[in-house]
Amino acid sequence: CCSEMDLSLLQALERERILEVLRRDKQLRIIEEDRIRRMKCELQELRRRGAKNSARQYGERTCARCQRPLRKLWNSGAVCRGCSHRICSKCRVGVGTVGWKCTVCHAYRDVKIRSGDWFLEEKAKKFTAKTDKHETVGETLLKTYNVLSHISVVPPTPPPHLDYQFLNRSGDLKHSKPLNKSVENLMVSFTSHIRSKLSQNASSHELKCEHVNTDRPSLPNLFKKSKDSDQEGSSTGAEEETSFSSEYSGGWRGSTSSISTDCGLFESTSVTGELELRLAYNTKTSCLEITVGACRNLSYGDTKKRKCQPYIKLYVLPEKSGKMKTSVKKNTTDPVYNEVLKVKRQRFLPTRLQATVWHTGTLKRKVFLGEVLIPLDGWRFEDMDSQRFNWYPLCPKVKQKDSGLESTMSAYLILGFTHKFDQRSMVLVSV
Amino acid sequence: MTDGDYDYLIKLLALGDSGVGKTTFLYRYTDNKFNPKFITTVGIDFREKRVVYTASNANGTTTGKTFKVHLQLWDTAGQERFRSLTTAFFRDAMGFLLMFDLTSQQSFLNVRNWMSQLQANAYCENPDIVLVGNKADLADQREVQEKQAKELADKYGIPYFETSAATGVEVDKAVITLLDLVMKRMEQCVDKPPADTASGNGATKLGDAQPNEKKCAC
Ligand SMILES: Nc1nc2c(ncn2[C@@H]2O[C@H](COP(=O)(O)OP(=O)(O)OP(=O)(O)O)[C@@H](O)[C@H]2O)c(=O)[nH]1
Ligand SMILES: [Mg+2]
Ligand SMILES: [Zn+2]
Ligand SMILES: [Zn+2]
Repeated sequence: CCSEMDLSLLQALERERILEVLRRDKQLRIIEEDRIRRMKCELQELRRRGAKNSARQYGERTCARCQRPLRKLWNSGAVCRGCSHRICSKCRVGVGTVGWKCTVCHAYRDVKIRSGDWFLEEKAKKFTAKTDKHETVGETLLKTYNVLSHISVVPPTPPPHLDYQFLNRSGDLKHSKPLNKSVENLMVSFTSHIRSKLSQNASSHELKCEHVNTDRPSLPNLFKKSKDSDQEGSSTGAEEETSFSSEYSGGWRGSTSSISTDCGLFESTSVTGELELRLAYNTKTSCLEITVGACRNLSYGDTKKRKCQPYIKLYVLPEKSGKMKTSVKKNTTDPVYNEVLKVKRQRFLPTRLQATVWHTGTLKRKVFLGEVLIPLDGWRFEDMDSQRFNWYPLCPKVKQKDSGLESTMSAYLILGFTHKFDQRSMVLVSV
Repeated sequence: MTDGDYDYLIKLLALGDSGVGKTTFLYRYTDNKFNPKFITTVGIDFREKRVVYTASNANGTTTGKTFKVHLQLWDTAGQERFRSLTTAFFRDAMGFLLMFDLTSQQSFLNVRNWMSQLQANAYCENPDIVLVGNKADLADQREVQEKQAKELADKYGIPYFETSAATGVEVDKAVITLLDLVMKRMEQCVDKPPADTASGNGATKLGDAQPNEKKCAC
């Protein structure tokens, strides 16, 4: 009996060791995600700048990037190989031996390399099954374990969209033997599940994941659409925006509306500035305590009167149950709050914190000033570094009319969520 | 504490039989220390290192551009019982250090198996790999000759290094060579013409005139 005990002890330790590694990996990924998000925000800003100044006269040829008029003979511009827009000589960047690209296409290329998107694309080519290509194996495993350990504490109440198959399984599980299988068996069965999942092509799984594909359109796809549109001088970034939305909205509109019911009616200005937050987990009260420190450098909610009365709204996703607000600060673009908002332990593991900044205008009119999304699964609350105040750059809203890049964030939230349950039911089958 | 102040996150992974020195090699690379004790790796692990990468042209001359690279170096267990777990991690790595022990013929023979594992599980059919013969300091116990190993590496078309985690010889060079391959691969991947470029509009007139770029083989 003793040797058996030792063995199970060893395996439990082994499991802890591996999970510890996966948690460290998650920390690194949180930083990486944040970096990529900032990078893509900047890229979007660059594109928008081209679109914004589109006070163009019809019939006149202008550079798609700087909007300067193009002549018939000299400085007539040339067509960018990336986006097929006519570009003046100033807005071109040479890339190695490949010839020049316009400033925006060049920035896309750069982001594609620095964000690791090149790698995701290559990987997706080989593993063509429609799994979430963003998720690493480590992430998948970690999620599974988070879910498993969670189940053993509180039986989950399934969300409405969950299938009955799962319901039955979770019901069975409560009364079945405790989850004491060795980690290795689990991992083996789990990894074989990953594999079978990856190799299977036609299954119900595809249905659930089909949104993932539209989730973050690959860069060449973004351009394909704009190529079809008028590529002579009159086309500017503004047209890109609309064509993008028509192409990608179908996939995620349903999801977004369920997540941000109140994002339909608001005005928006340009997004600037940062938000200061601190996250801590209070083990005594089982509360996630979010301290809203301050904002700095916000844009004016009311640009005409140069006024700003900002407040912050918080949601913890996926449940979006506890919506919380700070007080409204008067006439400032650098409000200080130092308010602690508490989130009770939820039925599901929190996956993301969504913090949005709003300006309250007259007649309850509100203006969106920016948002921050912070991944929470894998957050190490015991880690002192993650308990400090941090400044987060505000990003533009996930808007239905927007291009694929940012708008996909909230679709991703929902997807991450369903995906998780998907895996849970998957693992339960194997236990 | 890591921060997001870097230009690239590059994920490399070390693989090979148990005991060839993967963990010790990576420890030498990141901390410049040697651990003579053998503590077999449980499942997976990783180490990190921030390096400055100087971009070079195809002909080897530096462009003077430098980048901050955050390296995540995955260390896998060589033991058979972790195999399904470790090979699952292959797909998230951008480059591989395939290691064997110069004092163990068997570990060298197994290189072929590891190669086929890579082919099956890595992100593409021909990922960037560097072959590493480790424990070069144990000259009197050597079982694998340099020529043998070099031939195999040539057959696969990958670089080969003889390293010692004990003395540190060639360790940095092996890793940097791999990093260099991955950095070049990234550029090739984004610069290759998209496979399904629609033709027939004004854009391709320019495109047709371009010499065909070196294609990323993956
Ligand atoms: N002399 C000498 N010993 C080495 C060298 N590299 C590793 N060793 C020793 O070889 C033994 C095994 O090294 P590890 O790095 O633990 O081996 P590993 O490949 O990580 O093994 P697994 O984790 O089981 O897959 C240790 O005792 C190391 O000290 C080397 O270059 N020279
Ligand atoms: Mg080891
Ligand atoms: Zn221009
Ligand atoms: Zn362009």
